Amino acid sequence: MNTTAISPAAPAHIEARGVCVDFTVAGRTNRVLHDVDLSVPKGGFVSLIGPSGCGKSTLLKVLAGLLPPTLGRVSVAGVTPIEAVRQRRIGIVFQEPTLLPWKNALDNVAMLMEVAHVGKTHEEIRQRATDMLRLVGLEHAANKRPSQLSGGMRQRVSIARALALDPEVLMMDEPFGALDAITREEMSDFLLEIWERTHKTIVFVTHSIDEAAFMSREVYVMATNPARIIEVMPIALPYPRNEDSYAAPEFARATGHLRHLLKQGHRQVQAA
Amino acid sequence: MNTLAEQAGAGANIRAGLGRLLPSFLLFAAMLVIWEGVARLFKLPEFVLPAPTSIIRVLIERQGPLSIAAWVTATEVLFGFVLSAVVGAAVALVIARFAAFGRALYPLVVLFQTVPKIALAPLFILWFGFDLFPKVALIVVIAFFPVAINMLVGLQSVDPNLVALLRSVGASRNEILMRIQIPNSLPYLMAGLKVAVTLAVIGAIVGEFAGAQAGLGYMIQFASTQMETSLVFAALIEVSVLGLLFYYVIEFIEWRYVDWVPRTD
Repeated sequence: MNTTAISPAAPAHIEARGVCVDFTVAGRTNRVLHDVDLSVPKGGFVSLIGPSGCGKSTLLKVLAGLLPPTLGRVSVAGVTPIEAVRQRRIGIVFQEPTLLPWKNALDNVAMLMEVAHVGKTHEEIRQRATDMLRLVGLEHAANKRPSQLSGGMRQRVSIARALALDPEVLMMDEPFGALDAITREEMSDFLLEIWERTHKTIVFVTHSIDEAAFMSREVYVMATNPARIIEVMPIALPYPRNEDSYAAPEFARATGHLRHLLKQGHRQVQAA
Repeated sequence: MNTLAEQAGAGANIRAGLGRLLPSFLLFAAMLVIWEGVARLFKLPEFVLPAPTSIIRVLIERQGPLSIAAWVTATEVLFGFVLSAVVGAAVALVIARFAAFGRALYPLVVLFQTVPKIALAPLFILWFGFDLFPKVALIVVIAFFPVAINMLVGLQSVDPNLVALLRSVGASRNEILMRIQIPNSLPYLMAGLKVAVTLAVIGAIVGEFAGAQAGLGYMIQFASTQMETSLVFAALIEVSVLGLLFYYVIEFIEWRYVDWVPRTD
């Protein structure tokens, strides 16, 4: 495994060592994640990429405290993921926006803050929600219900909701997977902008090679049988990245190598 | 511009709706004309099949006793329906909120549903007499089930990711119930209420058949023993209108308050 990308000098913000996850269905135990090591520095942007069934979403769930690992050790900001969630250090964005259809965009953003009892008044919560909507460029849509918004706008509301509690880490599980290609690229630009402005640590699950290479500092490439990380690949493109980054030689080199790795993993599965 | 377009859209919708109803209306009118023709042509005795015109005449001439009967039945339906809604919603909430108790209760509710409830009517007369209460009780046992089942589906069909998100910020079971599950269940509840309200009308009529001193069901039974078939039909029409009115009250409440559900129309 290529571990040169993990700089020993930078203290890890998110760290996983020897993480395994087993699922038992009908008495049969399957290992859905095998011996995963991962290290993300504070303010890093890491993508997890791989074919369906490689355990990338499972790994994200473990990092986000939604699923306890069977074996291994995970820490986020120095504590366990569950404790980090409790301290509101982790914001989660799913593939579906998971908004409340009966509430407008502003109330959807405010919803988690209200439930979290953050010690803010109603006005302060609404102000914060308005600020978050402005951050994602949707202040004009505050009174619109999810059904009146496009897919990309709904996902922006979902991101605003995750950012509202000011987490240090954003865990994103294929957040743009349901969007069309153009909207997807726009959302990549938008997320990078948010990242550069807010300095969040981002873990981003995707199966789009371009998306992973364009946004990430490091791409963790995963494979199936057993579900594991096969390579950690740094992307040496300078930030801020924009449309020109897609034309850079480094982008071509990175995507080429990622494509090669994923195909290799695919062939191994078919050979096995 | 938007509002203008929407207004124009609404106007067009109403016109389109009326346009869609027009064929049904014409068909209904044609059936009435044929009915009238058959009744007159074959000179059928009134107690066998009264002509529509004579039913309308009875509706007008006997409107006093008919409206008193309609009022009695409407009261039974209203109380019975509201209580069915409350009982049905309570059953669903208890099953959804208290999982262990719910697992015990749910099979019993289903078992109870398989009892032919109409057969309980004579029992209720025996226990509760001939007034409002036995009818309300019969309506509740008939009509609470669709309310409970529909609302339960709505409470349980919440996006698990949303629940995980709320849990992650420390939401309690009650908060998840209040903020997500109950609002999520409202469209399902409305569907259950629409079924329940038609069942409530049936329950009231059956309850009156089993033993009553007033109401449209009582009137139907009484009139048929007197061979006043026109009056039977007149009372039947009032029952249908009553059911229709209650149904559209629910539709209106849904349209007004549960307005986030995408509509096909």
